[in-house]
Amino acid sequence: MTHTQQLTDEYRFYLLRKRYAEELIISAFRGLRRNGIEPILIKGWAAARNYPESVPRFFGDIDLAVLSSDYERAGKLIEGENLGGIDLHRELRHLDTVDWPRLMSNSEIVDLDGESIRVLCAEDHFRVLCVHWLTNGGENRERLWDIVYAVRNRPAEFDWSKCLDVVSPTRRRWVIATVGIAHKYLDLELDGLPFADEAKILPTWLTRCVEREWARNHEIRGLETQLKNPRSLFQQILKRIPPNPIHATIDCEGEFSNGPRIGYQFRNMLKRLLPSVRRVASAILQR
Amino acid sequence: MNNSQHPIARKTGLVVQEVPDEVLVYDLESNKAHCLNQSAAMIWKSCDGNNSVSEIAKLVENQAGGKVTEDFVWLAIDQLSENNLLEKQMPSTFEGTSRREVIKKIGLASMVAIPVIASLVAPQSALAAVSCACNNPPNCGNAPNAGCPNTTNCNVAGLCAP
Repeated sequence: MTHTQQLTDEYRFYLLRKRYAEELIISAFRGLRRNGIEPILIKGWAAARNYPESVPRFFGDIDLAVLSSDYERAGKLIEGENLGGIDLHRELRHLDTVDWPRLMSNSEIVDLDGESIRVLCAEDHFRVLCVHWLTNGGENRERLWDIVYAVRNRPAEFDWSKCLDVVSPTRRRWVIATVGIAHKYLDLELDGLPFADEAKILPTWLTRCVEREWARNHEIRGLETQLKNPRSLFQQILKRIPPNPIHATIDCEGEFSNGPRIGYQFRNMLKRLLPSVRRVASAILQR
Repeated sequence: MNNSQHPIARKTGLVVQEVPDEVLVYDLESNKAHCLNQSAAMIWKSCDGNNSVSEIAKLVENQAGGKVTEDFVWLAIDQLSENNLLEKQMPSTFEGTSRREVIKKIGLASMVAIPVIASLVAPQSALAAVSCACNNPPNCGNAPNAGCPNTTNCNVAGLCAP
């Protein structure tokens, strides 16, 4: 098989996956709306809208955020409709601090095969994409392209003030630093951005962490899922000691200053220890 | 050959994506992907349970703008049936003759591209981006951190499907 054929088949698979995801999205929106629940689609498909058509943006599950009080009911409905692959979120939790009514009123409707799909407005979604990328400890190089294309292909009326000035200075800095990382490693152009100079200033620990994660090239996974594979389990334990400084800082709502991360890492480790032990113990007992 | 048969295209459990000159089909039950060329796709779409094989030949002939024989349609139906893309399996009509011989015979007589259904092999890189990396399917979805949406969405290789 030639290289060209391989690329073509990869693209064909991408199209099928995308179609599958779109059918899931439509079914989920219909099912939830029939029961008076209005979801907002985040990440995945919503992020892929910013990509050029020729660039595949693979996505696994479908992320739907619903009002906190609708969460349990929405979960049951999704389960009842047998819609595998839906990742339900109780509002946006750590991903954003803007309240749900405001996110909802800012949100937009996009058409997907005749179904109205609700997505966050570009400014709100951009913050979510940045914080999500950081929450994963900056380990996913591929997903940094979400940031690149969201900036490059932002709507003409995109308002940076609406994006950055509605959250704390700490979170504002997180977003700008993520843009800075995309600039440093993926050549995202900063010309014309109101925070271009600020984005170029990145703490050393931040870039070191990103480079280390990319060199390591294995994603964080639940320890309990790796019990049958000692090598992978060992890798996952090593990945957690010490905790990823980006993840730990985000987890503790910490600032992206030049200061040491050890305090955040320690707090993060304590926070995660008990739930991790519980999950592993439960997985062992179930075997 | 019974040309009064009325084949029905399978609709459920499939993800279908039309692209220029071909139709891509993912079978959620078998976790197999197929690529139908234009001729095969036209015939598949004409299999509505109302059209007989003879009528499908005429329909495709009108759409494709070239002579289409009933053998031509049977060649597609044979492959559609083999790949489980019909509601009811239809027995091969070319018994005693290899598909290669049939293709040769039809190909020489036809100005329309012969119907072809190719199987797609999942590129590893495509799956890697969405892989739940479970050791086996029952592990999928055991934990949200595994990255796999659920247990039913996992194929035999322990990867999220499709």
